[in-house]
Amino acid sequence: MRRFAFFPGCLIPVRHPAMEFAIRHTLPRLGIEIVDLEGASCCPDPIYFKSKDKLSWLAVAARNLSLAEDLGLDVFTNCSGCTATLSETYHLLQDESLRAKVNTRLKRIGRQYRGTSRVRHIVTLLRDVAGYDAVRQSVVRPLEGLKVAIHYGCHLLKPSRIMQVDDPNNPTVMEKLVTALGATPVRHRNWYLCCGKACQTEDIPANMMHDLLSTVNDEQADILGMICPTCFGQFDHGQMKVSKQFGEDFHTPPIYYFQLLAFAQGVPYDKLGFERQRFKPQCLRRFEASAAV
Amino acid sequence: MPETPGEKDDVVRVNFQFRRELAEKVEGNLASFCYQCGACVGDCPAATYGDEFNPREIMLKVLYGLGDELLVEDSILWECTNCYNCHERCPQEVKPVEVIISLKNMLADLGIYPDAVEKVIKTFEETGRTTPLSAAVTRQRERFNLPPLPPVPIEEIQKLLEPAPDEGGADPTDG
Repeated sequence: MRRFAFFPGCLIPVRHPAMEFAIRHTLPRLGIEIVDLEGASCCPDPIYFKSKDKLSWLAVAARNLSLAEDLGLDVFTNCSGCTATLSETYHLLQDESLRAKVNTRLKRIGRQYRGTSRVRHIVTLLRDVAGYDAVRQSVVRPLEGLKVAIHYGCHLLKPSRIMQVDDPNNPTVMEKLVTALGATPVRHRNWYLCCGKACQTEDIPANMMHDLLSTVNDEQADILGMICPTCFGQFDHGQMKVSKQFGEDFHTPPIYYFQLLAFAQGVPYDKLGFERQRFKPQCLRRFEASAAV
Repeated sequence: MPETPGEKDDVVRVNFQFRRELAEKVEGNLASFCYQCGACVGDCPAATYGDEFNPREIMLKVLYGLGDELLVEDSILWECTNCYNCHERCPQEVKPVEVIISLKNMLADLGIYPDAVEKVIKTFEETGRTTPLSAAVTRQRERFNLPPLPPVPIEEIQKLLEPAPDEGGADPTDG
């Protein structure tokens, strides 16, 4: 077992406990031990609080990273927003004068940031630590014939020099993880688009989501696979809003990758919290006859 | 209208004070390297799906020191989707999105936020989380056999939010 400190952030543990359940269920089956971080706060978020004061944002993020440093562990995130904040902090604090400013603040609470814990998005744990083969071997219900439209979102990939996850112009990690479950990944024409959550106007996210969902519909995908809880909200609640606004019927259920993985590993559909979604991935029911745990 | 000598009031003057204050913000000085090529515009979702937002124009206003056009209520800056495509595309490593966030830091110093943004910031500053806990959340977590969420030591977080006197940039009046 390889050990990693778990940085759950705000959105998943509070709004989407089913996603956290799926993570805690699936990772140990792939040789990854989850070590909980005591005393962590919001990362803080890279949209709202970062807009107020970047230096305070860095100081709080550095405190969170220092908790993992105390354990001598790398830290993994399950939200692309947390990944953005913590990875950017790791990158920016390689600058000595900025690190000194942040450490002056951390001294007030008896802490120091040293830069010894790396930040990993949970997707990279599957690829680099467990490996695609291990993911494939953990599957008891191959999702054959399931068409999964991939939504990468922004902060898993960009800025690529800082995230260092995959090629931002032609990423493959999500396609390969979906393929490992026996399903068929679908790269629609607007695959690289943003979910629009950070934009503080109505029209831009609505127009963008309308364009994106139209191309997903063209591909006749069964579900939309993603790895960020913020994107998830935009595609669940947001999809209903866009349908109403444009008078069209968009209804591709979004699903957080680890819930799909848990289902493929045999967790019953009814234990995965799908009833709380506005668009339920009922299409998974057809695989339930296969082996269950 | 063609300029004639003497009509100096028509001449745009660079507001260097604004540029100095922006340069104090983390990565706020990067716009200086912008040569206006427009690589940031093509993949910008806010430029594609909106009518007004243009990251190149925002960088140009920064270069001209036209802070008055950017640091206003309902600023165009809030149309940015934070997708980081401009960061990815810029050949000069200007990171337009980071310059835009630094400009938002200047707006915050002036106390100007959209309501939705201010609400999330307040929740974070008061609780250490952006999404508050509730009894319903605890029940949901129990249903999934998840461990209770450990408390956030909020007094530690709040101590980190106070600017230090010599770090620069936190107080717009010390320019």
